Amino acid sequence: MMDFASNLFSPGTLSQILVGLSRTTILFIVSSGMSLILGVLRIPNVAHGSLYMIGAFAAWSVIRFLGGGLFTFLGAMIVAPLIVAAVGFVLERGFFSYLYEREHLMLLLLTFAFMLILGDLVKIVWGPEYRSVTVPAFFQGSAEIFGLPLPWYNLFLLLVGPCIAVFLWLVINRTNLGKIARAAAVDGEMVGAVGINVEWVFAFTFVLGSFLAGLGGALIAPMVNISLGMDHSLIMETFLIVIIGGLGNMWGALLGSLIFGLTQSLGILVWPQFGVAFPYLAVVAVLVVRPRGLLRSTW
Amino acid sequence: MLRVESVVKSFGGFRAVDGAKLHVEGGEIVAVIGPNGAGKTTLFHLLTGHLSPDSGRILFKGKEIGGLSPHVICRRGITRSFQVVNIFSRLSVFENVQIAILSRERKSFRIFSPVAGMAEEEVHRILRSVGLFDQRDVESDLLSHGDKKVLEIAIALGGNPVLLILDEPTAGMAPGETERCIRLIRRLSEESGVTILFCEHDIGLVFEIANRIMVMVRGATVVQGSGEEVRRNSEVRSAYLGVSGEC
Amino acid sequence: MRRPSAPLLLLLLLAALLALPQVLPRFHTYVAAIVLLTALLATSLNLAIGYTGLYQFGHAVFYGVGAYGTALTLTRSGMPAPVAFMAGPLAAAALSLVMGMICIRLSKLYFGMLQISLGSLVWAVVYRWYSFTGGDDGIHGIPLPDAISSPEASYYFTLIVTALCVFTMYRIVRSPFGKVIQGIRDNPVRAASIGVDVRLHQLASLVIAGFFGGVAGSLFVVVENSVFPDMMFWTFSLEVLIMCLLGGMYTFFGPFVGASMIVLLRVFASVHTRYWGLILGTILTLVIIFLPDGVLGVFVRRSPPKEDRGA
Repeated sequence: MMDFASNLFSPGTLSQILVGLSRTTILFIVSSGMSLILGVLRIPNVAHGSLYMIGAFAAWSVIRFLGGGLFTFLGAMIVAPLIVAAVGFVLERGFFSYLYEREHLMLLLLTFAFMLILGDLVKIVWGPEYRSVTVPAFFQGSAEIFGLPLPWYNLFLLLVGPCIAVFLWLVINRTNLGKIARAAAVDGEMVGAVGINVEWVFAFTFVLGSFLAGLGGALIAPMVNISLGMDHSLIMETFLIVIIGGLGNMWGALLGSLIFGLTQSLGILVWPQFGVAFPYLAVVAVLVVRPRGLLRSTW
Repeated sequence: MLRVESVVKSFGGFRAVDGAKLHVEGGEIVAVIGPNGAGKTTLFHLLTGHLSPDSGRILFKGKEIGGLSPHVICRRGITRSFQVVNIFSRLSVFENVQIAILSRERKSFRIFSPVAGMAEEEVHRILRSVGLFDQRDVESDLLSHGDKKVLEIAIALGGNPVLLILDEPTAGMAPGETERCIRLIRRLSEESGVTILFCEHDIGLVFEIANRIMVMVRGATVVQGSGEEVRRNSEVRSAYLGVSGEC
Repeated sequence: MRRPSAPLLLLLLLAALLALPQVLPRFHTYVAAIVLLTALLATSLNLAIGYTGLYQFGHAVFYGVGAYGTALTLTRSGMPAPVAFMAGPLAAAALSLVMGMICIRLSKLYFGMLQISLGSLVWAVVYRWYSFTGGDDGIHGIPLPDAISSPEASYYFTLIVTALCVFTMYRIVRSPFGKVIQGIRDNPVRAASIGVDVRLHQLASLVIAGFFGGVAGSLFVVVENSVFPDMMFWTFSLEVLIMCLLGGMYTFFGPFVGASMIVLLRVFASVHTRYWGLILGTILTLVIIFLPDGVLGVFVRRSPPKEDRGA
């Protein structure tokens, strides 16, 4: 028992938490994209995970095409999400927007259809094998935090996360476009009635959400095997995060990501065999106590 | 039979119902009227269990019913129709009324008997009395708006209620349909003795059939009495006509 | 459009199904068995979603638990086979009751997501508990009683059980309970106002759906002799949902038709291509856009009620 306790409070735990937090960054970026889409467009986008996966594969392609090095890497972190944003644009304008008047269930199933389609399209374009991206030399190695090594790349992620959060907050709360989007979330018809082209607001929102999904995928590329199952695993986590955080709520996405990421890290530390199930338990606990999520949802 | 005492219901800081009072005797037709936003529908939700009162009492046949859930209140003998059309859209007219009866007869958990002919006699009787018999096999979503409102009443009748609460029964109806509805309400009261409580915007209709009228303004009861008493009440006049003082 | 006498059609179908193993090669008999149990699964899902209006997104977990329950009883407990075949569905029903009690307080999308969440929890436990459930390998070579172990015998067993279960569900749907849950589907508020305890009826419906989903899982054990964790993965839940949608969610035999089409298509497609996702996704897209009432829904003249887009 003492062993367990000292294990729990050791520097090992702290570094595990920090690693968990950097993973939380990715979760947050992707979830905020989904939350945006859910809040403004009311689409539960099951294909969001596919966009994330495309982001990872696209990043791989860009890096491979341009060669290694720091600037290529950073460039890929921008180009890959842009590619994904373009895909998102096609999805929204070409398909989803026609179903806005239908029931939620139909929209959800349509996005699921596209998850299936995009999954196979990725297989066609990139093939079924794993890909991997190596971290550029600039990020290799680790820093010393609390006497334990924390990879520079994780540190980088820990810095990027809050930057994205601040950026998003600025866009949503301080730009005209953001204000219009928030109004459209509450009452799309009214916004249209005052002469604003709601269609383009919706398109922009979806594109931004897709960009974020792609960014998440691109950022995580050096840390995992880029493979075909990425869409499956991520979409479930993302949905659960936005549900416990409160649908459409950015801060909720942050809170949900923290809960999810941390319970997963701690879970694996405490009980390696079943630790991955801890986040699901946390979700169940939250929903039982607060069925509509922790923070206010826009639904 | 029904007694509402100083009931209060707030949403956030807004008092939708603010000390309302109402009493209804058996066999009467009582109407609740008031300007928009006076709290009539909220009061009805409180009576039928869709909302719980913050304070005050609601007594039905001497027993407290405030805060009970809708299906329990239904079993006590109170059924209602809704202001917005609230029917079982994918079921036929016949089936809409049928399940109300089946529920009342506590047959809703029977899984091995075929439902096809159940309660047929009673359903037909109710449909005939409201004038929907000819459309009994039509999918209810396909009915005209007026017919749907009548179906609302029919469903409520399926529960064989002691007290029937109608929330704006003629809302959205064409004049001819409204006439039909008035006659229906009167007939129900005379033939079956069911007590009826309803709210309406159509004041002429109200004065035509109601035994007593309760007037609500801003969540509170201004007066409850016969048509004459209400007409003469100065507060009512100022609320409706914007005239203060005598007229 | 009047269909030719429905009982006659069913009788012909039954006769055809009975004759099947005598006429077709072994592999086709196997496929037919899979079609039957998948159709049973889809019909059980439709009880929850098409008839009660619940967003049952995690149905595959009952299928998986039914299968694992039977498999584990057969391989580990030494109990006779009939016990094993009841253990699976009963475990599924029990799980359905527990999950139902947790999820039922939520509406629509939240209900669905919490159900998937709980289902994922179960999946994760099964996936990781290598020593008990075989982990991601699953369990193989499950011993079956001689009477039903041959491909032909397992087919007939599947046919009989499926027919009985489908018939039972048909009776349930045509009963007072069946009508009341449809009322709940159309308008839960109104249902409460006519004296229906909505939660209780929804729970009952979930338990029945879970039970028959578990039966389908047990049948899988008979046909396939093995189980694996992905049977209860959420993507399979959505595939079964697609089957219901394709065939027609508001008809009784719609899911049956949809399941048959999808399983047969998948078998056919797997021979010619490895892009099943693309095919299934395209079919789903076409169904949603052009045929929202499903294949059988075309024959039933119904105008869908206009629902408002709330959660």
